[in-house]
Amino acid sequence: MPGETQLPASVSVRPARWSGRGAILSWGIAIVIALIAPHLMASGFGLSLLCRMAIAIVFALSFNMLLGQGGMLDFGHAVFFGLGGFATMHLLKLVDAGLVLPVVILPLAGALGGGLAALPAGWLATRREGTSFAMITLGIAELAVALVVMIPQWFGGEEGVSGDRSGGVALFGFDFGSALQIYYVLAAWAVIAAALMWGVTRTPLGRLGNAVRDNPLRVDFLGYDPARIRFLTFLLAGIFAGVAGGMQALNDEIMTVSNIGSAASGAVLLMTYIGGVGTFSGPVIGAVLVTLLQVALGTVTDAWQLYSGLIFIVMVLWAPGGISGIVQSHAPILRAGRGARLLGPYLALAPAMLLTLAGTVGLAELAYRLQAVRGGAKAGRLFGLTVTPTDPWQWLIPLALFILGAVLVHRLAPPARAAWQDAAAQTARGGA
Amino acid sequence: MSAPALSLRGLHKSFGATSILRDVSLDIPAGTRHAIIGPNGAGKSTLFHLITGRLRLDRGSVWLAGDDITGQSPHAIFRRGLARSFQVTSLFPRLSVFENLRIAGMRAAGCGHAFWRRIDGFRDLTARIEEMLALLDLGPRRDVAAGALAYAEQRALEIGLALVGGAHTILLDEPTAGMSRAETERAVALLRRLSAGRTLVMIEHDLSVVFDLADAITVLADGGVVASGPPEAVRGDARVRAAYLGAAAEVLT
Repeated sequence: MPGETQLPASVSVRPARWSGRGAILSWGIAIVIALIAPHLMASGFGLSLLCRMAIAIVFALSFNMLLGQGGMLDFGHAVFFGLGGFATMHLLKLVDAGLVLPVVILPLAGALGGGLAALPAGWLATRREGTSFAMITLGIAELAVALVVMIPQWFGGEEGVSGDRSGGVALFGFDFGSALQIYYVLAAWAVIAAALMWGVTRTPLGRLGNAVRDNPLRVDFLGYDPARIRFLTFLLAGIFAGVAGGMQALNDEIMTVSNIGSAASGAVLLMTYIGGVGTFSGPVIGAVLVTLLQVALGTVTDAWQLYSGLIFIVMVLWAPGGISGIVQSHAPILRAGRGARLLGPYLALAPAMLLTLAGTVGLAELAYRLQAVRGGAKAGRLFGLTVTPTDPWQWLIPLALFILGAVLVHRLAPPARAAWQDAAAQTARGGA
Repeated sequence: MSAPALSLRGLHKSFGATSILRDVSLDIPAGTRHAIIGPNGAGKSTLFHLITGRLRLDRGSVWLAGDDITGQSPHAIFRRGLARSFQVTSLFPRLSVFENLRIAGMRAAGCGHAFWRRIDGFRDLTARIEEMLALLDLGPRRDVAAGALAYAEQRALEIGLALVGGAHTILLDEPTAGMSRAETERAVALLRRLSAGRTLVMIEHDLSVVFDLADAITVLADGGVVASGPPEAVRGDARVRAAYLGAAAEVLT
């Protein structure tokens, strides 16, 4: 029963006056970071990473319009991203062929593509809520992939559709061929799209979406059709996912069926959840971190997908509010100056967690490399040690680390949790 | 003669082979306060669900201010001016008290589904919500999530959600359930004040509240109307005593 949901007494929503000033500050900081980041990471690698982050931020925010703000778990969100990307790609090809249109505004075609795709999809899916909704979106995702493969004239079959973003008429001397120029185009789109999505949370529809997430039945008895609110939210989310897809089309200059598929839909779910669905900034944090992680882990280990899966499971189990949820549950305690009390229990827990992590990494790498070594590859080194996954004794070390770490975490986590609960309760009382 | 605020004509409802309501007919004149009482399982809450579109009628019709609303959806019925509260508290647990009330007031304030206008820009709505917060004594709890409120506060908010939307007819399902004596008295005063000029229909177990507030009482037992009329008439009705009041009869004398 929604009405009986128990929340800790510390849960309180910030007064509007405070969040007004805080919001302006946060937006200012975000824009400054977007402006100076390419000069701190000026390498080609750094710039392409930043471009991917900008795209991921818009995609994850559009996903959270559904999951975090509307309570809708969409398993096929990449459909709108991908179809928006294809729409942009086709317009880009027209520009390449001589159509006079500034390349900068092409993600608008993505918005149109994403929105048009979300119309029938939303019409079907938003008639239901909860699990049924999620199932329908899964079906729609399969359907979309099948359609894309079936119509190679539009979607280019296996090779996809490609174009040249610098092929159009240059605008004020910019042709957007260089990485820095396209970064600023994408960053501008990311800021505009994020600002618009933030704006939507502060409108009647945005608030009604929250209400439908919490308790659709009651919304029905307050004069609004919950299905209609879900539909409109879905449509907006599709439009913004399409913008992200359009950004992707400009960045990669190619769209393929993999941009629509379930892996892409899974990735955005992962980002959004790890960042935190409960706040507006959560998906932004998640998009930045997961993009970074994918790239960084990808250069260190071939088993990076295994790790992102593990991180996801750990977050869902023990930090369902994501990173922003962890921040949010500690911010009032730190502001009230009670953070010092948490230091001891948390510091005690940290080595135990590191042990578990080391054991996990050892086991994961051994498992991953076992197959490679059997195939004749060199096993390589880990933590400065030569790895021989075929030697059963080598498995004992990470296994022992993992078990020891897990036992310690199991014993040290309850006091840490209790310390947090204490501090949170005191902060709530003191603050009231 | 103006049409009754609410008119029920021959309502029937069964779940499978079990008949819940049989031929319930009732006219509730506009501007009156009407109490529905009866033992557990009499079908009182089912009656509310049928009126407000939560459940479908098997037979019969429901008329609101002279219009047939039979078979309409809950949100359509709300827009015609009928609001309700729930016996089991039904709030938006993750939204603040203020936001809960604002959601309830949006339809009347003409917010529509706008996603291009700031919600804070609806100043009349904000003022109305602040006023309701004060009336409900929830002012200091304005920014607390509804799910974190104490039980009595949640019950007060539950009533507030039904009252804030400007409906002309309000159905309250056990508004004072679980409240202490002092809280109940405050709730009664609030209901008296806010129901002025509106039609109030409430299911209530607390007979002192019923006789304090109601202009008319309907007794429902075993799926049918046993008696309906002014409090004095119902108080003296022998069938009522037999069907329902029994042990509680001494309260009435």
